[in-house]
Amino acid sequence: MNGMGLLKGLAITFKELWKKPVTLEYPEKKEKLPPRFHGSFTLYSEKCIACGLCQQACPNKVIKVGSIKDENNKRKLASYEMEMKYCLFCGLCVEACPTNALVFNQEYELAKYNVEDIKLTLFKKEQITTGEGSENV
Amino acid sequence: MGENLFVGMAKGLRTWLESNHFLPIVTDVFLMLLAVVGVLGFLFLNALFLIYYDRKFGAWVQARLGPNRVGPRGIFQTVADTLKLFAKEIFIPNNVDRWPYLLAPVLIFTIPVMLFLVIPFGKGMVPYDLNLGVLYLVAVTSVETIVLWMAGWSSNNKYSLLGAMRSVAQMLSYEMPVIFAMLSVVMMAGSMKLSDIVAAQQKVWFIFLQPVGFLIYFIAVNAEFKRTPFDLVEGESEIISGPYTEYSGMNFALFFLAEYTNFMIGAIMVTTLFLGGWNAPFGWTFIPSWLWFIIKMYFVITLYMWTRWTFLRIRIDQMLNFAWKFLLPVSLVNIFVTGVGLYLYRMIRW
Repeated sequence: MNGMGLLKGLAITFKELWKKPVTLEYPEKKEKLPPRFHGSFTLYSEKCIACGLCQQACPNKVIKVGSIKDENNKRKLASYEMEMKYCLFCGLCVEACPTNALVFNQEYELAKYNVEDIKLTLFKKEQITTGEGSENV
Repeated sequence: MGENLFVGMAKGLRTWLESNHFLPIVTDVFLMLLAVVGVLGFLFLNALFLIYYDRKFGAWVQARLGPNRVGPRGIFQTVADTLKLFAKEIFIPNNVDRWPYLLAPVLIFTIPVMLFLVIPFGKGMVPYDLNLGVLYLVAVTSVETIVLWMAGWSSNNKYSLLGAMRSVAQMLSYEMPVIFAMLSVVMMAGSMKLSDIVAAQQKVWFIFLQPVGFLIYFIAVNAEFKRTPFDLVEGESEIISGPYTEYSGMNFALFFLAEYTNFMIGAIMVTTLFLGGWNAPFGWTFIPSWLWFIIKMYFVITLYMWTRWTFLRIRIDQMLNFAWKFLLPVSLVNIFVTGVGLYLYRMIRW
């Protein structure tokens, strides 16, 4: 019958009226993120073996791993820096890490007021020994 | 106690003024001014709230939140918007017809204010109870189109002119069903006085005796006040903003406010003519009559908003076809049936 579509439309909007809003009031409330969300990075420096695979995997040359060799000729992490302005959050570095030292975290508000602050320094040894075998890989 | 709140206040003020030996004319003028101020306050507050409510309702229908920043739950959003428009420049483009261009926003707001003269807000609460209240309502409402035409013509803009032309066409075609639907009510009540029409609905509201008339009136009033299924006059997607295109600042705010006041008038007219005005349903007189009036008004407003946020704008030819080929014949048949029914009813009674 003519005009039944109008009633159908009214019924649909009436049902929608009682639905919960899908809007998220973002700065006040935050979305629950999935566990494997590609956010910022966390480095468990005690796990890191400074192998440099992440640096090799990175397509944009974001990561700079600094390492030193200690007295037992064992490679150790000295510094870990990421130029976040080039990062495309592809996750190849996280995949490449053999010890799961580098992981994503849930942080995504990465805008900064100063350009210098964009650089992410995940690890920095307090005093880098300038002794034997100090090298940058 | 609540029932006689406003009437009692007016009465008390009158006796106080008379006991202080003011001239009778001073007392009358003072009380009339007070009524005007009261009506204007009612109108402004409701129009401000209506804009907020409309936005909020639209948000609910679309599963959004709507305005929620200014004040608790965004209740002062309209106030903030109005203040913003106050601060804006009133820009007058070159080559506009200056006087009509500047007069139109002023005049557009006087029309809804004039309409409030005859509205019965509650028991004994009519600013001025005209004998020909219904005729007055019809006559004054249709003047609005002249003001829109003024705005559209003087703006010297093709979109404004198109919008104004549409408003004239719309008013001409929808005035008929509105009048005929009103006429069926007037026939039932036997009077054009709005307070008599309300009094005639004490037992049965006219919506139950005139369901077809109610539907016609509901649709046609929506078209007459240019609400969304029929908002071709504004038609953002086609003609920018119709007659309002060239207006800015407070001039635009006046148009906007007048639009919502007109919307309120439409709801009030539906309430008064079909939903029993200030009469309490089921004999629930513990709620005062003026509050019943406001409750019913907001119920009708919600119905209109519901249709507004459901239906799409129709084309101009569809709109005119609907008015002339469907609403008008149906309303004529409705009048005929009403007349025959009244005659039969009178015969049986006698």
